[in-house]
Amino acid sequence: MAFQILLNFFLAFVWMFLKSSYTPASFFVGYFFGLLIIYVFRRFFDSRFYLVRVNAVAVLFLLFIKELFLANWSVLKLVLRPKLNIKPGIFALPTELKKDWEITVLANLITLTPGTLVVDVSFDNKTLYIHAMDIEDINEAVDSIKNSFEKAIMEVSR
Amino acid sequence: MKTNDLILQTVSKVILFLIVLFSLYMFFAGHYHPGGGFVGGLMTSGAIVLMLLAYDIKTVTTILPVDYKKMIAVGLLFAAGTAAGGLLFGVPFLTHAFTYVDLPLLGKTSLHTAVLFDTGVYLVVIGVTMTIIQTIGESE
Repeated sequence: MAFQILLNFFLAFVWMFLKSSYTPASFFVGYFFGLLIIYVFRRFFDSRFYLVRVNAVAVLFLLFIKELFLANWSVLKLVLRPKLNIKPGIFALPTELKKDWEITVLANLITLTPGTLVVDVSFDNKTLYIHAMDIEDINEAVDSIKNSFEKAIMEVSR
Repeated sequence: MKTNDLILQTVSKVILFLIVLFSLYMFFAGHYHPGGGFVGGLMTSGAIVLMLLAYDIKTVTTILPVDYKKMIAVGLLFAAGTAAGGLLFGVPFLTHAFTYVDLPLLGKTSLHTAVLFDTGVYLVVIGVTMTIIQTIGESE
């Protein structure tokens, strides 16, 4: 991916030299043509076309914003309720993510969406221990994290 | 004799894109500077030939799953379509129109229908060259 972005920048600069106009506009035109060429020859590289990954990062960011709003809303409802009727608890989340930064991002996303909080990561990096403010069903909580955040992170790093 | 083409393959991974970019520059320079659809198309097919030299035909067809014969047909359609487009406006066959448009990034740009005709030339040249080279290369 890094190679493709570097190549795209390089092509944009070559385009500026060919046109002998060193303006941002000609840089963007060159970048666009470079992007087009790299897209046509995308099977030439070992990794995926890099815009797919850029798109996956954007999807992950939007997902985070959405979850942040929804979770804060649910916490607001819990706080305003006259009777405190919650079941707190700690559960283990087995994760398939391998790299250090993936696990860090997953842990941060879980912590930043209120209601859940990462307490610890096991020594073999395969399990996250999560404190939840209100668990109705452990399997449901595990599934919802797995299907949203873990899937989106995998989409970025694949 | 089987040799290791590692250096050729790695270098062609960068050079190829430079050649294609230069061919695009040639293609768009055609109206005011030397260049145009013919030399641009030849240079693009030159880049594909470089890929054919560095790899084999099978790899290249998986990288670029393009039917070059259809490419010729599409190119001819482009050329004939732009030529016939003039008839719709009551002017003779092959009459070209142009206008100045303020594009957001490029500023004042003149858009010609001649570019569409040139695109047809570009596609036909790539299609013909690649068909010739592939047909000769595949026959034993």
